[in-house]
Amino acid sequence: MLSIFLTATGADQAVGMGLVGFSLLLFTYYTIWVIILPFVDSDHVAHQYFLQREYSVILPGIAALILLLSVGTFIGVVTWKNRKPKKVD
Amino acid sequence: MTKLLEWVFGVSVIGAAWALVTFDLLNLRLPVAYKEVAWPMPVYLLVVFGCYSLATVGYRVATFNDCEEASKELQDQIKEAKEDLRKKGLKM
Repeated sequence: MLSIFLTATGADQAVGMGLVGFSLLLFTYYTIWVIILPFVDSDHVAHQYFLQREYSVILPGIAALILLLSVGTFIGVVTWKNRKPKKVD
Repeated sequence: MTKLLEWVFGVSVIGAAWALVTFDLLNLRLPVAYKEVAWPMPVYLLVVFGCYSLATVGYRVATFNDCEEASKELQDQIKEAKEDLRKKGLKM
């Protein structure tokens, strides 16, 4: 079966590359925060762009918690909507 | 050795190395910077894995080619199936 392939349309490309860009930014910021900063002198100007070290663990923890709660809520809502009354014979 | 055992073994070895550095179990007195890098490592690896997954999904969404013919063919087949089922008495 021969198909003519077109490239992905505008919105798909925008969203896709947006995701790629966002994850690159997040990776770079987080890597500098966790791995690079401890080796930088404490009076260097770079330190003012980053929160205290504890937050590098607390913030992802909170994000994971929010994600779990969202998924759980979604499953709960969908299950509740699809409950059927029992049949009476 | 099963794959599960291999993975458990590997994770335990890495986990033990991490605990050794973070909690200074052997009193190695490593430089402070090394301990500072080590203790967020589990969370860091999770975040990196998450970023990689997000980037992969995003990239594949951006480069997935449209297939106009296949889309039209699929929609015709759906119409056909609906008609067929309607004839056989299934209410839509």
